Amino acid sequence: MADTSHNGHKAPDSFEVRILRQGGPGQNSYWERHRVKHEQDMNVISVLQRIAANAQTVDGKSVAPVAWDCNCLEEVCGACTMVVNGRTRQACTALVDRLLEDNSKEIELQPMTKFPVLRDLMVDRSRMFRSLQKVKAWVPVDGYYDMGPGPKQSREQQEVAYPLSECMSCGCCLEACPQYTKVELTQRDDESDADFQKRKNAAYDSSFIGAAAISQAVLFNSHPTGKNTAGERLDALMDEGGIQVCGNAQNCVAVCPKEIPLTTSIAKAGRATTIHAIKKWFDR
Amino acid sequence: METNPSFLARHEFLIRRLHSLSGLIPVGAYMCIHLLTNASTLDSSATFQRAVYQIHSLGHLLPVVEWVFIFIPILFHAIIGVVIIRGGLPNYGSYKYVNNLRYTLQRATGMIAFVFIMWHVFHMHGWFHFKDWREGIAEPLGGAQFAPYNAASSLGAAMMMWGVLYPILYAIGVLSCVFHLANGIWTMGITWGVWVSPVAQKRADRICAAFGIVLAVVGLSGIGGAVRIGDHGQRYEEAKAVEEKMWDAKIASGEIDPEEGLHKRSDTNDGHASAE
Ligand code: SF4
Ligand code: SF4
Ligand code: FES
Repeated sequence: MADTSHNGHKAPDSFEVRILRQGGPGQNSYWERHRVKHEQDMNVISVLQRIAANAQTVDGKSVAPVAWDCNCLEEVCGACTMVVNGRTRQACTALVDRLLEDNSKEIELQPMTKFPVLRDLMVDRSRMFRSLQKVKAWVPVDGYYDMGPGPKQSREQQEVAYPLSECMSCGCCLEACPQYTKVELTQRDDESDADFQKRKNAAYDSSFIGAAAISQAVLFNSHPTGKNTAGERLDALMDEGGIQVCGNAQNCVAVCPKEIPLTTSIAKAGRATTIHAIKKWFDR
Repeated sequence: METNPSFLARHEFLIRRLHSLSGLIPVGAYMCIHLLTNASTLDSSATFQRAVYQIHSLGHLLPVVEWVFIFIPILFHAIIGVVIIRGGLPNYGSYKYVNNLRYTLQRATGMIAFVFIMWHVFHMHGWFHFKDWREGIAEPLGGAQFAPYNAASSLGAAMMMWGVLYPILYAIGVLSCVFHLANGIWTMGITWGVWVSPVAQKRADRICAAFGIVLAVVGLSGIGGAVRIGDHGQRYEEAKAVEEKMWDAKIASGEIDPEEGLHKRSDTNDGHASAE
């Protein structure tokens, strides 16, 4: 069907895209308008491709192409996450016709607000990866000899674990979380890259780890082999910036594109840390 | 930003959990008892006076109990609460979910509750007991209005000091406190891991809502009871008469030393005229 209408809604010939741009870290951001010709089945990534090809604002000014990130184009890598019409989501599955149903005149694109901007719509999400490191979101099996096959997992256990394993570290849950606030440092002139990294890690480690890492800790603590290091993960969850910072707004679970039961994970981790804290108190 | 983690940072988990716990025990539990006691004014002035006598039978221990189990926990809960509020960034404007609204309201009602409680304790109790403060500062500023041994009459008169203004302020304050407690119990259950699954959280949510509604009715009844006495000359006089009889009985039985008990009575026999 060549009809461009959706639900009987007549799509416009073209529409405007308002983009919050920024040349680089620490620079001022500014809004810029682009006009894009409407095509069939567009998503925000194809819109950004047209904008890059055209590289001209609505007033005909030539500008550097807008920078963005993407990989899989099917909502499994999380790289294209940005704020579309005020809501955090993946650009690759943000369909233009759907967006124009809400507002037929324009689409608004912003980089995520909780991570440092690298350029335009690209952000540095390394804090999230640092959080995953902090809670040791893996099963420790490295060694010098073959440890043989791991224990079998029951069907029930698999069914609980699978949804949690779908997390693609997109950061939507963090972007929408009122307790997760931006941490952005700038490298000092006399500071080496290694020192800067160290300072960033320290800052990340003392700030909220967020729902994604809490849920991953719960996932690996439920794994038969991962359980061996459950105590270390719980210690990490109780560290500064740990689970206690959660304010139970439950935005995370509402925006997660993978519909991961994040608040269930948070409550599970809450229970586990409660017990862990009491045990530690008496074992001292 | 400090380079060395502060005390608050190093013990963040414990402090947040204590903050959560203190909201229920003792602060929340105390509030329930307080609101129930106040609602007894609806039964009769004598019932209320009897309850107050019972509380004051603690004698010299009362201020200790007040500070250790009520004021200090409230201050702790409030101060840590302000630290928590400063660490967050409410975003209901962008993410209009019910639970997000509750997150925002929990913070708003917490702030209202804190200001309200500070004012309320000043208005009724005067903050500190010692005489110079009470007579020199608190009372002239409209505080320390509650006289425990003239419980119902002084409560009624204090409530009606400025017409409908105080009942309205009290209603706002009490409803904020009730929301903060009921919603706080629900989030507390998640924080401590009592209700985990979405179904369990929903069920707990309903129970907390029902609890909140009941407590709101009880709280508003207390205000209503005070207004009823303070707003009505005859009922006010009746309350005074009952209080007088009970006072005489306490003196006669030797349960209260008249000298010592005097400062817990209204200043003159009719210090506060009822608002007519
Ligand atoms: S939990 Fe969901 S929203 Fe959060 S990072 Fe993973 S996939 Fe994204
Ligand atoms: S439930 Fe916790 S982690 Fe999730 S959005 Fe709310 S404060 Fe953030
Ligand atoms: S490009 Fe991978 S999620 Fe959008």
